Amino acid sequence: MEYKVEAHRIMSISLGKIYNSRVQRGGIKLHKNLLVSLVLRSARQVYLSDYYSGACLNAAQSEREGNEWDITDTEREKFPPSTTECDRVESSEEPQQNERPEKEREYRENDDEVKSDQADCTSTLQQEQNQNSSLDSVAKVSSETLQETIKEPKESPSDSALAECDSTPEANGESHQPPKTHVCSNRKRSAEETESGDSPKKKTKVASSNAKEGEEAEEMDTSNVSNLITIFGSSFSGLLSKDDVKPESEAEDSGQLCCDQMLKNLNPWSTAIVAF
Amino acid sequence: KNEISPFGVDFEILVSLVYIKALLCSVAADIISTVEFNSTGELLATGDKGGRVVVFQREQESKNQPHRRGEYNVYSTFQSHEPEFDYLKSLEIEEKINKIRWLPQQNAAYFLLSTNDKTVKLWKISERDKRPEGYNLKDEDGRIRDPTTITTLRVPVLQPMDLMVEATPRRVFSNAHTYHINSISVNSDYETFMSTDDLRINLWNLEITNRSFNIVDIKPANMEELTEVITAAEFHPHQCNTFVYSSSKGSIRLCDMRASALCDNHSKFFEEPEDPSNRSFFSEIISSISDVKFSHSGRYLMTRDYLTVKVWDLNMESKPLETYQVHDYLRSKLCSLYENDCIFDKFECVWNGSDSVIMTGSYNNFFRMFDRNTKRDVTLEASRENSKPRAILKPRKVCVGGKRRKDEISVDSLDFSKKIIHTAWHPSENIIAVAATNNLYIFQDKVN
Repeated sequence: MEYKVEAHRIMSISLGKIYNSRVQRGGIKLHKNLLVSLVLRSARQVYLSDYYSGACLNAAQSEREGNEWDITDTEREKFPPSTTECDRVESSEEPQQNERPEKEREYRENDDEVKSDQADCTSTLQQEQNQNSSLDSVAKVSSETLQETIKEPKESPSDSALAECDSTPEANGESHQPPKTHVCSNRKRSAEETESGDSPKKKTKVASSNAKEGEEAEEMDTSNVSNLITIFGSSFSGLLSKDDVKPESEAEDSGQLCCDQMLKNLNPWSTAIVAF
Repeated sequence: KNEISPFGVDFEILVSLVYIKALLCSVAADIISTVEFNSTGELLATGDKGGRVVVFQREQESKNQPHRRGEYNVYSTFQSHEPEFDYLKSLEIEEKINKIRWLPQQNAAYFLLSTNDKTVKLWKISERDKRPEGYNLKDEDGRIRDPTTITTLRVPVLQPMDLMVEATPRRVFSNAHTYHINSISVNSDYETFMSTDDLRINLWNLEITNRSFNIVDIKPANMEELTEVITAAEFHPHQCNTFVYSSSKGSIRLCDMRASALCDNHSKFFEEPEDPSNRSFFSEIISSISDVKFSHSGRYLMTRDYLTVKVWDLNMESKPLETYQVHDYLRSKLCSLYENDCIFDKFECVWNGSDSVIMTGSYNNFFRMFDRNTKRDVTLEASRENSKPRAILKPRKVCVGGKRRKDEISVDSLDFSKKIIHTAWHPSENIIAVAATNNLYIFQDKVN
């Protein structure tokens, strides 16, 4: 669990740096922001993966060795697919709701990084959603920390339920999209609920929007100002995909698709962005 | 004590200059941001955060005191860059001088290139010791004379005057970089130079300011796929068609301009595989190369990343020839260094004239030297408390664990606000210039 605390701390620090870089004299430094986003990604992976304890950290490391197949296959065997579990995910309480979809997507994400022959559209969407959800979770977790609620114990029983749900989307590949949209709207609900919460949460969220804005502004020739979230999200997809030949072409299309979905569903985000 | 190798010879403080305090007013503009000797070592230029350039000149050796080498005194000071505002992007452009590079001397005047984030300027520094006197249309004060009062004509003559050193901007190379310029390098053909930003490298002719050629472009079609940026670039010291550039991923690419107009495809690719046992959140940051320098011979490359300096043989791409640990004790402190932004410090590295010793900076005003032949290394400190003129520098040691000896300093006591990023080594002698925030130190080896 120390991993989680440490990873969360690093994520908060990173987001703070990205935010501060916007107001820095001399403009946004591309190099520094790139490095910070890499750290943010690593921390996010650990934060969302600590559920697997050592296994997933090994998985992250062995990406390069291409051994992940073995690990993920084993884990998939442990948790047979079940659609009913997925429904359970959506109808359960808000905090768990937030955590579980992320983990679900994170699991998929780890898989997809290795399976380059898999539908890259899928992985990009997942990663973008991961990104958004992780920012949600940062906002959420900070509130948790403040309120000192006991959310952690709840996660463990939900973990197994989550894992069971994991593998269903795996096999489906592109037919994946409907459940994803559904998950998107979950996040919207949780986002809205979060927004109505206390100010520290909101501040973090707004800071995140700014972070995204900063990330976007530094790509100085981009014209899709309205797709801030997508850009921030899919910049991670670019960072994550090692086999970048194939994903690239599809990333744009899926980025656009996801972007539209995102925009429809994440109105609170748009409001925050417009404010800045 | 051997004078050929600097090891075995102690370093003595030649001049400890209180840079900036005498010259500038504001505190923020004080920080020295670049240091560079010219090709003969006669001149030493420093650039600072306030856009100013100060050039020091070495005094001629005195016959009366042959043991006392020439000291460096201020030769010229000028404002190279001013803060600017990009109205289109609503961005302020910092006036901080990122790099200075000297041109080889071809006549009585000296030329240098200085750059901030966006604009490179060519400055001419020349001496004037005569002035024309006896104009017809204006008097000695410069006031215009009434033409009706002029009854005779005279020819103006040049009269001696006190030596004046003036700096004039001769060329301004602007509007070629979308991102921040991190390097400039003069080609050995003395006709061209290159300027490098995060994603592109442009080639210029020194005479032509309204056109530059893009020779490297790593900007992805979709910025969302950006994974690495260019961190430094340099021309080969002898081969005018060859240059290298380093990346934030820890790799170096060598390019040949004869191969194609756009050098996106490298001729050589230098990268060391990552050690998986050292993997952490910050692995990518600490592997980012902050400086790359060719050896004087042109046979080797030196790169600096956050914790090490590496020497590469141009003929071996798979791994470096030598790796030197600068401050490995920081490896366990990366998280704190990330928090306080120190992990982003871009340390530079330099070769000595014979390529046998390499030098780089660290924290607590420490700087390190590595002798490539004997494999010895030394840590020295640039601080006025510990240095008196002509006093010999004492080697320092950082205590990593266990019992701290009397003169050692523990890792936790290091002052991370005192960092030595910029250093320079005289091209042929054992004279070094070390910039410690807003102070410039010049050290030379002791003459027996």
